[in-house]
Amino acid sequence: PAGPGGVAVPRAGLKKLALPPDYSGITIPEKPKLKFMDKVPAVPKVRREPRRLRDIRGPSQEATDFTQGQYGILALGGGYLHWGHFEMIRLTIGRSMDPKSMFAVWRVPAPYKSVTRKSLGHRMGGGKGPIDRYVTAVKSGRLVLEVGGRCQFGEVRPFLARVAQKLPFPAVPVSRESLQEMRREEEEKRLNNQNPWTFERVVTSNMLGMRKYLSPYDLQLKGRYWGKFFLKHRV
Amino acid sequence: MAALGGGGTRWRRAWLPALQLLRRGSKAVTRHWKAMHLQRQKLLALTEFLPPRPPVPPRCRPRHATEEPRQEDGYARVLRRQAEECLRGSRMVAVCQFNSLPDEDVATLRHFLRKHNIHLKFILNEIIRPVLAQSELRSLLPLFVCRNVLLVSPEARAREMLRVLKGVPQVVLLGACIDGTILSRQGVENFARLPSLEVSQGQTVAALSLLSSQTSSLLQRGPAHLTALLDEHIRRLRDTGGATEPPPGRSSGNH
Repeated sequence: PAGPGGVAVPRAGLKKLALPPDYSGITIPEKPKLKFMDKVPAVPKVRREPRRLRDIRGPSQEATDFTQGQYGILALGGGYLHWGHFEMIRLTIGRSMDPKSMFAVWRVPAPYKSVTRKSLGHRMGGGKGPIDRYVTAVKSGRLVLEVGGRCQFGEVRPFLARVAQKLPFPAVPVSRESLQEMRREEEEKRLNNQNPWTFERVVTSNMLGMRKYLSPYDLQLKGRYWGKFFLKHRV
Repeated sequence: MAALGGGGTRWRRAWLPALQLLRRGSKAVTRHWKAMHLQRQKLLALTEFLPPRPPVPPRCRPRHATEEPRQEDGYARVLRRQAEECLRGSRMVAVCQFNSLPDEDVATLRHFLRKHNIHLKFILNEIIRPVLAQSELRSLLPLFVCRNVLLVSPEARAREMLRVLKGVPQVVLLGACIDGTILSRQGVENFARLPSLEVSQGQTVAALSLLSSQTSSLLQRGPAHLTALLDEHIRRLRDTGGATEPPPGRSSGNH
């Protein structure tokens, strides 16, 4: 950069010494690593339950905010987590974190929903198949797990990102601040939208008879969700 | 099946879209991306997010127009206080351009300057610039770009400083402020060539007292001249006549 008289001015100025982070209020629990999740619940279900895919659809109402930890994985879509996923998460996190200075906590329950599967190679009919496995339903906007302790987001993000990539739904590592920032941006986008026509407005007042082509659930979902997918770019 | 009319008379039943639409296609929640109805696609295209357009595009605004007031760093404050004290407590402040010099040569230079009680100071530009802007050395501000070094001293020993700096070509004198007077490089050289304070004081005193010292000799010049002329005259008369009686002018002069 040119200074007065056309002479180059060096850019490096005084070093800004930042204070080290304050970890005073953080206590690491006795068992810092993730708990082992059972493949089958202690009382296995006798009666086979219907599919009920509505537990995947739409935004999550539980486990949307942080409780104990500072960083976590946020689900950006709906899906089912089975025992294989749980083991992968548990082992990866256990391998990558330092139990002396970090801890991790599950925010999803162990698999509780039974899923049936018919044996291969048979035709349709003959009743419902036997129970194949148990899964946990996760809706979009839910935290899968939380990590906390004497660590920074930059340390935690790489292995959280690796775990998030392997999940059956899109997920991102988040921290308390980044989640707040995400929500704030979403709100700002919603307020600063210059488009006078919004999905919500069209659906609630049934303009042009649009409700014929939309689901009654679209009144709550407001065009941001389609099936199990969460459309992030929608307002 | 329910919509098909039965028997002879064809009569319309109430058409329940929920049932009818469920006959074909998949469930609401699928693993794949379910194809949307065209009307729904149109609606989604219509209700997309439109970002607000500022009246002036951001790239047409001047860059770094409003710099946010940065938080004052404690370390910067300490350095600034040190710089202020340094400038206040020194009679001579010289600014030199500092080209890169090996560490041992810097130490040697410092040692030689220290012998004449001149201190070599490296101060960051971003700290010295606000300090100078507030003091009366504002004119020296344009000199503080790039790597520079300050030579401060409580006494104004310009000659020794120039002698030391002559041996170091990497340090180039740019300007100085001696006793509150801002001097350029030429000015410093002229200042160095001036005689020392005591000598110049003596000269001033001598010049002032010259006139008063000459007053007595001025007043005595007339009679002294007359005395010299008369002595000459007597000598001539003595030489020529050798007369015993004194000239009449002299006795009349005695009265």
